[in-house]
Amino acid sequence: MNRKRDNYNMFEMDGDGKAKKTKKEKKKERLEGMKKEMDIDDHEITIEELEMRYDTSIKKGLTSSFASQVLERDGPNELRPPKGTPEYVKFARQLAGGLQCLMWVAACICFIAFGIELARGNLASFDNLYLAITLIAVVVVTGCFGYYQEFKSTNIIASFKNLVPQQALVIRDGQKNQINAIDLVVGDLVEIKGGDRVPADIRIIFAQGCKVDNSSLTGESEPQSKNPECTHENPLETRNIAFFSTTCLEGVANGIVINTGDRTIIGRIASLASGVGNEKTPIAIEIEHFVDIIAGLAIFFGFTFFVVAMFIGYEFLEAMIFFMAIVVAYVPEGLLATVTVCLSLTAKRLARKNCVVKNLEAVETLGSTSVICSDKTGTLTQNRMTVAHLWFDNHVHAADTTEDQSGQSFDQSSETWRALARIAGLCNRAVFRPDQDGIPVPRRLVVGDASETALLKFTELTIGNIMDYRNRFNKVVEVPFNSTNKFQLSVHELDDPMDLRYLLVMKGAPERILERCSTILIKGQELPMDEQWKESFQTAYMDLGGLGERVLGFCYMYLNEKEFPRGYRFDSDEINFTTSGLCFAGLVSMIDPPRATVPDAVMKCRTAGIRVVMVTGDHPITARAIAANVGIISEGSETVEDIAIRKRIPVEQVNKSDARACVINGGQLKDMSSEDLDEALRNHPEMVFARTSPQQKLLIVESCQRLGSIVAVTGDGVNDSPALKKADIGIAMGIAGSDAAKNAADMILLDDNFASIVTGVEQGRLIFDNLKKSIAYTLTKNIPELTPYLIYITVSVPLPLGCITILFIELATDIYPSVSLAYEKAESDIMNLKPRNPRRDRLVNEALAAYSYFQIGAIQSFAGFTDYFSAMAQEGWYPLMCVGLRSHWENVHLQDMQDSYGQEWTFGQRLYQQYTCYTVFFVSIEICQISDVLIRKTRRLSVFQQGFFRNKVLVSAIVFQLLLGNLLCYCPGMPNIFNFMPIRVQWWFIPVPYGILIFVYDEIRKLGVRRHPGSWWDQELYY
Amino acid sequence: MATLKEKRTCGQRCEDFGHFVWNSDNGTLMGRTPEKWVYISLYYAAFYVVMTALFCLAIWVLMYTLDPYAPDYQDRLPSPGVMVWPDKYGEEHIEITYNSSDRASWSKMSTCLHKFLEPYNDTLQKDCDHNCIKGKYFIQDHFTADTHTKKSCSFPVSLLGPCSGLQDPTFGYNCTMPCVIIKMNRIINFLPSLNTSQEIQVNCTVLEGEENVKEIKYYPDNGIMDRSYFPYYGNLAQSKYLNPLVAVRVDLVGKRWAKFQCRVVADKISYENIHDPYEGKVVFTLKNLHLEPSRMHNQGSAI
Repeated sequence: MNRKRDNYNMFEMDGDGKAKKTKKEKKKERLEGMKKEMDIDDHEITIEELEMRYDTSIKKGLTSSFASQVLERDGPNELRPPKGTPEYVKFARQLAGGLQCLMWVAACICFIAFGIELARGNLASFDNLYLAITLIAVVVVTGCFGYYQEFKSTNIIASFKNLVPQQALVIRDGQKNQINAIDLVVGDLVEIKGGDRVPADIRIIFAQGCKVDNSSLTGESEPQSKNPECTHENPLETRNIAFFSTTCLEGVANGIVINTGDRTIIGRIASLASGVGNEKTPIAIEIEHFVDIIAGLAIFFGFTFFVVAMFIGYEFLEAMIFFMAIVVAYVPEGLLATVTVCLSLTAKRLARKNCVVKNLEAVETLGSTSVICSDKTGTLTQNRMTVAHLWFDNHVHAADTTEDQSGQSFDQSSETWRALARIAGLCNRAVFRPDQDGIPVPRRLVVGDASETALLKFTELTIGNIMDYRNRFNKVVEVPFNSTNKFQLSVHELDDPMDLRYLLVMKGAPERILERCSTILIKGQELPMDEQWKESFQTAYMDLGGLGERVLGFCYMYLNEKEFPRGYRFDSDEINFTTSGLCFAGLVSMIDPPRATVPDAVMKCRTAGIRVVMVTGDHPITARAIAANVGIISEGSETVEDIAIRKRIPVEQVNKSDARACVINGGQLKDMSSEDLDEALRNHPEMVFARTSPQQKLLIVESCQRLGSIVAVTGDGVNDSPALKKADIGIAMGIAGSDAAKNAADMILLDDNFASIVTGVEQGRLIFDNLKKSIAYTLTKNIPELTPYLIYITVSVPLPLGCITILFIELATDIYPSVSLAYEKAESDIMNLKPRNPRRDRLVNEALAAYSYFQIGAIQSFAGFTDYFSAMAQEGWYPLMCVGLRSHWENVHLQDMQDSYGQEWTFGQRLYQQYTCYTVFFVSIEICQISDVLIRKTRRLSVFQQGFFRNKVLVSAIVFQLLLGNLLCYCPGMPNIFNFMPIRVQWWFIPVPYGILIFVYDEIRKLGVRRHPGSWWDQELYY
Repeated sequence: MATLKEKRTCGQRCEDFGHFVWNSDNGTLMGRTPEKWVYISLYYAAFYVVMTALFCLAIWVLMYTLDPYAPDYQDRLPSPGVMVWPDKYGEEHIEITYNSSDRASWSKMSTCLHKFLEPYNDTLQKDCDHNCIKGKYFIQDHFTADTHTKKSCSFPVSLLGPCSGLQDPTFGYNCTMPCVIIKMNRIINFLPSLNTSQEIQVNCTVLEGEENVKEIKYYPDNGIMDRSYFPYYGNLAQSKYLNPLVAVRVDLVGKRWAKFQCRVVADKISYENIHDPYEGKVVFTLKNLHLEPSRMHNQGSAI
C-alpha cells in the first residue's frame, strides 16, 4: 500500500510535467484497484488451516516470544492516523489561491516597475514599492486569517478524539492476559464479551449469543450475531468474522486475530479515504474564473494604453511602466480580504447553528449542492431501536418515535393494551444503568439487547417506572431467547397477594408465538383464535414487516392455580409447565426511526431543488422503509418492481422512466457498469442504495459528479469516509461520527442534525448571492481608480489620484461596506430556487463586470473628474490649462509656475494641490460608493422593497466610511503622511448628484429587469 | 463538476476560444450575435454621450461660476515662494557652479540672467505706471486702467545697479563678485506685511563657508521690495505686472564657495515650512571652480 506517496500526490498542482503524469497514472491505477472489493479467505478455510497459516493454536494461543516477533514484523495494532498535512503546507495553501496568485504576480510587477524606475534614477517614486509591500501584506494577513480559521475548526474537531487506550483479553501460552489492544498480533487468540470493542479483525472460533454492532462499518442498525460458521463468501457478510472497531453488544466469543492495524477492513477503508483526492471547491473555481476575467481585462487595458503611450511619444521604458501600473491597478486589493471575511462570517454563523466548517471555502459549497448522498444510520435515523407500531385489538397503532417524545401517542384505554404492556414490561431482561434519574428516558443507557432496550424504554415511557413494576411481579423463572425456540418467556407472581395464580408471559418471533396461542385478546376479551383472526394477524405482520420493522409477538397465560400452586418448582431447562394454549395479546414492531427533523429537512431540500439520495449499508427493505418515511421516496412513487407487481407484468417489460423511485442493492451495483449507474441516476429521481460497500459509495459519488452535480455526502461511519472525501463537500456527524469520517469531512454537524444541512444550504446560497454583490461593489471602484491614471498618461493632467489614496480606498474605507453586504437578507426565497448551474450561473459573469466597470464605474469616474476639475479650477488651474500641464507640474526645479490667474507656485505648493486633488477624487469615490453599496443591496428588487435600513450593519458601514473619510481628510498631519488634505466642505457635495444618478439609474435597471424578464435589457443588464 | 475540472489541452483551449470568437451554431461573434453587438454598442454609445454631456454641463457650470480676476480659494498659497536666478540645480539643491575663467561656463549664468531679465526691459514697460508712490501698497479697488484693467508699477532694471546687466553683461561671473537675483512669487491680493514700520526686504545669510564670503551687497539698497508692487491683481487685471526683484552681489574669496539662504523678510511671509523649502526663502550654493591665480592665467591664455 503506497500510502506515503499518496499523501504527497494529493497536494500536487495540476501540471503537464511528464514525471507527474506518470505518477498520477500510477496513483489512479492503484485507486482503481482499491475500489475493487477486498478479498480475504480467512473466513472460508477451516480452523486447522487457519492454525497453520498463523502458527497458532486455538487452545493456547500464540507463544509470547512468537507474538513479539510478529509484533516487530507487522507493527502495532492501531490505525496509523492519516499523515496530516504539515502546518507549513496548510499555510502555504492559504497563500496560493486564485486571487492570491493574482496579487503575487501584481507584487512582482510592482517590484519590476520599481526596479526600472530606480535604474532610471527616479528616486522620488516609491509608490510602486509601497504598493508591492501592501499587496504582499494583504496576501499574508488574509492568509494568516484563513489559516487561523482552519486551525480553530480543526481544534474543535480534534477535541472529539477519544484518548482512552483500549484493552484486550488475549490468550498466550495458554494463559489469559489483559493487554493493550495495540500489542495484538495476527494469530492471537482473543476473547470478547458484551460491551467490548472488537480489538482487531477476528475469525470467530467459538461464540455464545454473541452480537456485534457493525453500524460504524456497514451502516446496518441491527446487531449481527456472530458464530463460527462461514455463511457468506463476502467477508463483510459472513457471520464468522468480527471487525476491528465494531462493538460487541452481548454474549461472548473468542477467535483468532487475522488482521491488525491498517490491514484490517476498517484500516483499508480509512486508507482508501486518504487516497481520494480533495475536490476543488466550487467557490475556488468561481474565483479562478473571476481572476481570469480580471487578468484578461488588465492585460487588454494595459496593452491598449501601452500602444497609446508609444503612439503619443513616450519612451519605451516609460510606456512599459505605464503598462505595469495599469495591470496592477486592475488588481482589486480589497477583494481578497472581503471574500475571506464574508466567508468566515458565514462560517461563524454556521458554527452557531452547530455546523463547523473546516475549510472556509466549503461554506459556499453547500449552497451550490444539487445532490446530497446521505448515509442512513445515525444520520437520517437515530441509530437506536425504538418501538414504532403496535398491533392489538385488530388495529395497527403508531407509537411515538420522536427523540423528545413530542409526537402523537395512541389510544391507551384498551384492556388489551394493558395486557400487552404488562408482557412487554415483564418479559424483558434489559435494565437501566443506575443513577440516570435526571436523564430523559430515550437517552438513558441500558444493559441489554437492542429490541429489549426499545421495549424497556417504551414501557418506561408509557406505564412509567418499570423497575418498580417488575418488582411487584416477582419473577419466578425465565427462559432466555435462543435461536432455536425463538421466544423468551418468564413466569411471575401476581402483585395481588390474594391472587395466587402465576402469570406466564412470552414474546418472540410472531409466527412461533401464534403457534402457541389458542385464544386472542380483543378489547379485553379472550376470543378463540380462528382462521379470521389468523388472517388479520398475517396481514398485520406482513404490513409491519414491509415497513422494514422488526416484529415481535406477545402472549400470556394465567397458569392454573391447582396445577401450579405457590412454591411450584419451575425448571427453565426442562420446561415443566404449559407453554401452549396461550392468549395472544398483540404485535410490537421496532425500527431505528428517522430523526424527527429529517422529513422536514428532506422536504426543504426538495423544494430547494436538491436531490437526496440514500446510500446505506443496511438492508434494502429497511432502507426503503426509512427512505419512504423521511420522504426520500415520496408518497406515490413506485419502483420498477412495484409497477411490475401492480401491472402484473415481468420486470423487464416495465418502462424504466415510469418509475420515479429505485432501490439498488450492493449486489446489483457490483454488476453495473458506470454507464448503467449514470443511467439509473438519470432515470430515477428518487434513489436508494442499500447494502453498499465503502467503495461503492465512492462510485456513486463519482457518478453523480460525472452527471454535473455538486455532491454533498453525509455520513458518520468509517465506511463513509472515502465518499466524504470524494464529495464536493463531506459532512460528518459530530457526536456519532467516527474520527475517520470527521477527518475526511469538510463540515461537521455538531448536533448530528440533518436539518442543519438545510441551514447550511441556505447560508451557502445566501453567501453566493452576497459575495456577488460584494464583488460587484468592490470591482466598481477599480474604474475610477484607474481612469485618473489613464487620463494622466494620455492628456498629461496633474495626477488626480495617488497610489496611497487608492490603497486607502481599497483596504480601509471600502472594506467594511463590502463586508456588510454579507449581512444582506436574501432578495427572494432562495430555498425555493433550483441550485445554481455551475456552468451557467457564475459568481462573476460578463454582465456583472461590464455593468460595474463600464457603467457604474464610468459614472464614478465622471464624478471624480468633475470634483477634480472643480478643485483645480477653484484653486486657480482651469481645466483646459491642466491639459498638457504634467511635465511642468512635476518639474521639481520649477518654483514659479504660473497658474491661470498668473499666480506663481513652488513645487511644494503644487504638490499639496495635487494631494488636494487626490483627496477630492477620494471623496468622490467614497460618495459614489455609498450610492453603490445601496444599489448593490439588491440585484433585482428595488432597494425600497428590500428596505433601506434593514441591514443595520450596512448602515453602520456607511457611517463608518464617512467618519473614516473625514478622519483621513481632517486629521492633522495627514497631508505629509498619507497625502490627504483638509479639503473644502463643498467638494464633498460635488459628487452627490452623480451618486443620485447612480441610484436612479440602477433603480431603472432593476425596474426593467423586473418588468421584462428575459428581454434584451434583462440579458444585458442583470448580473 | 467533473467536466468543469477536466484539464484541457492547449489545443482544446484554443478551439474553445475559437468557438467563443465565432460560434457558427448560433451565429454568435464573441458571445453575441452581430445584431446584439449593434444594440449593445448603441446602448453604450448613448450612455457615454449622455454622461459626457452631463460632465460638460458640470464643467460649464463650474467655469460659469468662476471669477476671471481672482481664484475662489488660495488654500495652497498661504505664503509666496522665493527663487533665485540663475536657477541651476545640482543633484538636488540649487548649486550655481561656474568657472570664472571658463567663458563657456560663466556665460551660461549670464545668459540665464539676461533671459530672466528680458521682461524687465524698459521698452516693454512703457505701459506701466511710472509714478507709483513708493513705500505704500498700490491698492486699486476699481478697474481704473484701460480696457477694464488695473495699473501695475514699472520695475526699471536699472534698480539692480551693477547686477542689471546693463554695465556688466557678465553679471560678475567672470570675476569674483557674481550676482544672483531673488524673485518672490506673486499671489493675488497678497500683502506681505501689515506692519508699516517694517520694510519688505531680502536678507541673505551665509549658512556654510562664511570665511569665503567677504561681502554681500543688495540692489536696490538694503534689498527692499517696494510696497507699491503689492498687491497683485491677477494677469487679467494686470497683464503687465512685474515682480519686484532684488539682486544680491557676493564677493567670494578663499575657497570661493559658500551656501546662502536668502529670505524675504515680512511678517506675513513664513519661511519655516519644512515641507516646502522654497516658501519665503531660498537656499543655494555659489561655487566658483576657479581657485588658483596661476591656473587662471593658463586658462586665460587658452581662451
